Amino acid sequence: MPAILQYAYMQRALLVGLLLSVIVACLGTVMVHKRLSLIGDALSHSSLAGVAIGLLGGFNPILGAMGVCIVAAFSIEAIRKKLGNHSELAVAIVMSTGIGLAGVLSGFVRSSADFNSFLFGSIVAISGFEARLVLILAVIVLVAFVLLYKELFYISFDEQAASISGVPVGVVNAIFTILTAVTVSIAARTVGALIISSLLVVPVAAAMSIARSYKTTVLWAIFVSAVSTIGGLVMSFYLGLKPGGTIVLISVVFFLLFRFLGFLRGRSMSSKGA
Amino acid sequence: MPAGCRRFLSAVLSAALFAGTAGILGGCRKGFGKDAEGKVKVVATIYPMYDFVKRIGGDLVACSMMVPAGTEPHSWEPSTRDMMMLEEADLFVYNGAGIEAWAGDLLETTQNKKLVAVEASKDVDLLRTSEVHFDGDGYEEEHEEGSSEEGHHHHGEYDPHVWLSPKNAEKEMTAIADALISIDGEHADTYRKNLEEEKKACEELDSAFRESLKPYAGKYIVVAHEAYGYLCRDYGLIQIGIEGVSADQEPDAARMRSIIDMVDKYGIKSIFFEELVDPKVANTIASETGCKSVALSPLDGMSQKDIDAGRDYFSVMKDNLDAIVSSFS
Repeated sequence: MPAILQYAYMQRALLVGLLLSVIVACLGTVMVHKRLSLIGDALSHSSLAGVAIGLLGGFNPILGAMGVCIVAAFSIEAIRKKLGNHSELAVAIVMSTGIGLAGVLSGFVRSSADFNSFLFGSIVAISGFEARLVLILAVIVLVAFVLLYKELFYISFDEQAASISGVPVGVVNAIFTILTAVTVSIAARTVGALIISSLLVVPVAAAMSIARSYKTTVLWAIFVSAVSTIGGLVMSFYLGLKPGGTIVLISVVFFLLFRFLGFLRGRSMSSKGA
Repeated sequence: MPAGCRRFLSAVLSAALFAGTAGILGGCRKGFGKDAEGKVKVVATIYPMYDFVKRIGGDLVACSMMVPAGTEPHSWEPSTRDMMMLEEADLFVYNGAGIEAWAGDLLETTQNKKLVAVEASKDVDLLRTSEVHFDGDGYEEEHEEGSSEEGHHHHGEYDPHVWLSPKNAEKEMTAIADALISIDGEHADTYRKNLEEEKKACEELDSAFRESLKPYAGKYIVVAHEAYGYLCRDYGLIQIGIEGVSADQEPDAARMRSIIDMVDKYGIKSIFFEELVDPKVANTIASETGCKSVALSPLDGMSQKDIDAGRDYFSVMKDNLDAIVSSFS
C-alpha cells in the first residue's frame, strides 16, 4: 500500500475531498449557468455571520452557518430577479451584508478561539463527524442532481421557456439554492472556504471551454474538480505544499489547458470551414 | 476578486472587533478611572506582562491589559481606545522580541511625553526562531549535534515566548521593577521587596521544573505551536510544533505525516493543544496515533474565565509542568 493511504487523516482527506469535488462540480454547473459564479464566496462569507449567531445564541455554530447561508442564498435569488440586467449585483449585495453582519456580531463573541475553530476548515484535519456529514450531504446532492437532471438542463438554457413547457422552475431553483447553501456552509468548515468557492467555478469554466453539451460540461467539471483535489492532496503529501492553494491552482492549470485545447480545436474547425 | 474580498473581510472584521471590544469593555475600561488616582498607571500588553506588573507593583499600580483576555496576541492590533489609555499612562510594559508587532508604531504615535516604555525581554538571551523549529527530516543528527534546521520560513527573527521559562520570567520582572522604581522612587523599597519574593517564587518554580523533568531529558513534546522553545532549552526537552512560532499557519499533509511518524517513533503519548489555537489538527493527530490530547497553556492569551478563577502565571506554569510530566509516565 502506498504511504499516502496508510494514514487515516489522508484516507479521510482523499475520500471527503473526492465526494465534495463531485457534488461541488454538479452544483457549480448549475450556478455558473445561472450566472452566479461568485455565490460560493458570498455564501462562505455570509456563513461567518451564522457562526457568530450560533456562538452567541448558544446553539451549534454549524447550524447557524447553514441557516444564514440558506437565507443569504434565497436573498440572492430574490434580489437577482428584481435587478434584471444587473443581476450579478445580487451576489455582491448579499456578500457585503453577510460580511458586515459577521463583523458586527464577531465583536460580541468573547473568545476568539471559539470563533476561529468554526471559521476555518482544513482538509488534512477532518473529524469523523465532519466526514459523516459530508457523506450524507453527497448522497442527497447526487440523488437530487440525477433525479432533476432534465429539469436543470431546461432551466440552464432558458428559465422562461422551461417554465412554459411545464418545468416547476421555482421548486427546482429552491431545491438547488438550499443544497448549494448547505454544501457551502458544511464544506467551508470541513475543507475551507478557499477550496469550496474556487471549485464551484473554475472546473466548470474549464469544462465549458471544451465541452459541446450540457452533459459533457458536467462530466468534465467533475473530472477537473476531482483530479485537482486528489492531485493537490498528493502534492501536499509528498512535496509539503499547502493543500488548499495547491488544489485551486491545479484547477486553474486545467482551465488554461482546456482554453488552449478549445482554441486549437476552434481554429482547426474554422480552417476546415474556410 | 476573492483576494480583494478577503482583505475587505478582514478589514471589516477587525474594525468591528475593535468597535465591539471597545463597546463591551467601555463600561469597565473608561481610561484608568478614579481608582487609579495616586497610583502608577501602567499599560501592559499581554497577560504575562500584566501579571508580572501586578506582582511587582501590587496596590501601588493601576494596570490595564491591552490585548483583551482570550485573544491571540499574534493577530491582534490596537484600537484608538488603546491609544487613549496610553496617553494617560505612566508606564508601558511590553514583552518585545516581536510578539507585539505594533508596539513600535504605538510608541512613535503617542503624544505622551512622560511615558516610560520598557521591553521586558531586553535582558533575556533570545532564541532565534530557526533554533526553535524542529523538523521531521534528519532530526536525529540535528538533535545529537544540538542544532536545528536553519532558514525555515517563520515570521520574526526571535521566538518571543520568553516568559515560558521561569528564569526569563525573573529577568522580565526585574526589568519591570527597575522601570517602576525609576518612575515612583518613593516606593522603591516596596518594589524591591516584591521583586525579591517573586524571584524566590521563580527559583522554586525553576527547581520544580528541573527536578521533575530531569529523568526525561531529551524527550519530545508535540505542541500546537512552537511556543515552548525557552522551556525546552532550560530543561532539555525537544518540542515538535504542529504549527510554527506564530500560530497562524495551516499544516500541510507532509508536515502532518512527519509529526505522526515522530509520535510513533518516539512513543509519544500526549498531544498538547492550546485554548486559542483551533484544536482540529491536534485532535486529528491524536486520534490517528491513539494519543490523548491535553491542554498546555502558553499563557499569552489567558481567558477571562481563568483570570477570574484566580489562575495566574505560577499556577498555570505548575499545571503545565504536571501535564508534561504525566505525558511521559
